[in-house]
Amino acid sequence: MILLRNVFFTLIFVNSWFVFGQSAEQLIPGEAVTVFSISNTDLLQKVSIDEWITYDFMEEIHQELFDKSTENKTVKEAGLDFDQRLSLFYGKKPQFEVTGFTFGIKDQTALFRVFDDFETIPSKYPGVKIYQSLFNNLILDKNHGLLIRVEPLEAFLNQQTDSLWYSRGNLSPFYALDEDQLMEEEALISEDEHKNLLEKNYYELRDSLAFEYQKKFYNEVLNRLFTKKQGLYSQDSTFRELLTHPSAGVFFMDNSRNIDRAKNLWYLKTVLPTLYLDVQELYEDNIITGDLTLKNSTIQFDLKAHYSKALGSIYQEMNDASFDKNIAPFIQSNQPAYFTYTINLRSAYEKAYDVLVPILSKAKDPEISFNLLLLKLGNALVNKDALFDTYKGSLLMTFNGIQKVKTRKITFFYDEQTFEYGEREAEAEEDMPIFTFGFSTKRKDIPEMILEHFSQITSKFENKGDYWVYEKAIFDAAPLFFINAKGLFIITNDRDLAENHRDGYGQQALSKRAVKSLKKSGTMAGFANIQEVAQRFPSDFLNPEQQPLIDFLRNKTGALSLKSGVTTDESTSVSVVYTFTDSERSSKHFLDLLNTLYLLTK
Amino acid sequence: MKRLLGLMLVCSCMLSSCIEIIDDLTLNLDGSGTFKYTVNLSSSKVKVNSILALDSFNGKKVPKIDVIETKFSQFSELLKKEKGIISVQTEFNKVDFIVKIAVGFSSVQELQNGVTAVIQQLDPTINITQEAGDWIQWDGKTLQRIIPKLVEDRIKSDTQADNEFLKTGSYTCISRLPHSIQTTSNELCRLNPAKTAAMLRVNALELKLNPALLKHTLTTAP
Repeated sequence: MILLRNVFFTLIFVNSWFVFGQSAEQLIPGEAVTVFSISNTDLLQKVSIDEWITYDFMEEIHQELFDKSTENKTVKEAGLDFDQRLSLFYGKKPQFEVTGFTFGIKDQTALFRVFDDFETIPSKYPGVKIYQSLFNNLILDKNHGLLIRVEPLEAFLNQQTDSLWYSRGNLSPFYALDEDQLMEEEALISEDEHKNLLEKNYYELRDSLAFEYQKKFYNEVLNRLFTKKQGLYSQDSTFRELLTHPSAGVFFMDNSRNIDRAKNLWYLKTVLPTLYLDVQELYEDNIITGDLTLKNSTIQFDLKAHYSKALGSIYQEMNDASFDKNIAPFIQSNQPAYFTYTINLRSAYEKAYDVLVPILSKAKDPEISFNLLLLKLGNALVNKDALFDTYKGSLLMTFNGIQKVKTRKITFFYDEQTFEYGEREAEAEEDMPIFTFGFSTKRKDIPEMILEHFSQITSKFENKGDYWVYEKAIFDAAPLFFINAKGLFIITNDRDLAENHRDGYGQQALSKRAVKSLKKSGTMAGFANIQEVAQRFPSDFLNPEQQPLIDFLRNKTGALSLKSGVTTDESTSVSVVYTFTDSERSSKHFLDLLNTLYLLTK
Repeated sequence: MKRLLGLMLVCSCMLSSCIEIIDDLTLNLDGSGTFKYTVNLSSSKVKVNSILALDSFNGKKVPKIDVIETKFSQFSELLKKEKGIISVQTEFNKVDFIVKIAVGFSSVQELQNGVTAVIQQLDPTINITQEAGDWIQWDGKTLQRIIPKLVEDRIKSDTQADNEFLKTGSYTCISRLPHSIQTTSNELCRLNPAKTAAMLRVNALELKLNPALLKHTLTTAP
């Protein structure tokens, strides 16, 4: 969520930054793993600053950057250089995380009229000025600014505090709290009187460590950036190249340095360092980049994932699949939202087996060796034809609006003589969103065998001829239907589909043109009608101030579509396109969508 | 995934869901009696289950069903210890979402004091005044009843969207007295043929808009 909110901070400035000469992004620390960088020449010309500062998300940036004394000032008056990019970054190391953004400065005097709670502190880096407020650090290098926060991670801090606390011979701090509750007030007062006031309690110790580590990590980040000149820009050629793209905004994520992924490899890293390095090789160059492009009636976001040859070879095999024509008849032409996924699971498995077995074979660890043996035995003994014919890897998911479903309720009946009451069961109707999930299968007999088995266990499972029903499957109320036909195994709560469209929707299904587009879409394809989805969105989830937003979206005519591109052994791509038919500017649509996303995640 | 499913399911369950509350009081000659309170959400099972699958709803944290059950049994255990409370029986139906509590008491005042004290023990932030804690008055001849203040406040705090939820719901107030009932102050209140019990049933949404609907006084024969 923090990351998402940070995205807003960057995109908030989406309108106007452009690169000329030396850029503010050179101040992005090398620890940054994710960067959003905005440079839109068109947007500022089409949407005035006055207009975009009226958006809800601007409130957030005001709170984040400005204190009460600058309540009436806006970013417009902050002396920022709107001809430079604004880049927001986030990075996480095992001990700390770093967040912030870089920007250009046109007028330093104006900047400090807005950032008036910052104080100058001495700088040991030539030409670099450093300012601090309670939470933020503002660093100015010529006409470039860096607003940065470096914070030790909570888990690391707890570990350090525990270590120091127990090494001093203390009991658990939580034990003391329990004990306090049992003590008489006089005993507590007496204990306080004899307490050594110079000795810190657990939380004071933790606060002190937090302060010291914050300083330490902050200095380390700044040293690498200004003394060793090891910023992300100077270290990463992909990032440098990305900044040359003529798009409105770019996205960068170095997955090979992503700590959350690295954490999963912790065991390998500490216990089997050689194997870790081999596995690490797989993830080398695993960088995800993205371009945001604004056109007349579309907003397009193109994502590209780059990876090592080894990992790429697995993805390439996985994506070497053609769209299953059996899927299309089960998507209606007016479906509010649908998603299809087409992969060749068997090829991907075989390639992964070829790539991973040699790596795992190098390990001298008995546990890994035993697991490898199990893997090899599984590969030799399991009937792969049956397995991958049952689940080939292609699937579909659809959302089909809201329908009434029959449920069961308990009602109370009253004796008119005594007003005593009893319970009885009655039928009820509840509105329920209708979903369908299905996957391609060549082995109709295997799902059928499983369903037969379930029907013997519970009478709720019933064979209706060429489909099955599982009564009260959803929340002990609504039924689920299983359709095992036409090369698909479908699970749905759509009674109409099960009873009337088991062979597909016929004339009501997707048009030939839409199917052709699906076939061309590669691994992933999806569609969502914004207006339809907004109509179905539960207003209850929104705060009163967010309510107008959903009303606004219900009047939008746009549609979101998702397509994947060509996969090679080096990269794969996905694009998300928002298309609209009204006469609004794309920049306005973009800001509207951004504001929507902001309000929904607020 | 569970949250996503919950979100999707909740999205339109509002229109058909409802709540049924039964507030049943029996008084004996000596002023003792039994108070039964039943909340039936079985016709909103899908909605309730969907909400329980979420972390937060309407800007508020959603407790897990086990936490709700624990709180409920805590309430029961604490109430048993209160002065004048003779017995407490509870039933928590997690499948159909029906919650029942039956409290045997020595006097109406002790029942109300006990309930107020336990609510405050469980949530010290709730401040219930003496007037707000009393929803029943019985002097041996006349019974005065209003909607419990806590229930009234809870209903009033619901959002506009909850109005749909309340629209088809009901609140039934039953009073069984040791003497025959002579008069009732509320014309919506029905008496049984033996005139020993009165029943007042109002729509939950109308009750939210006008809590005085439940106000009634029953006068018994001397």
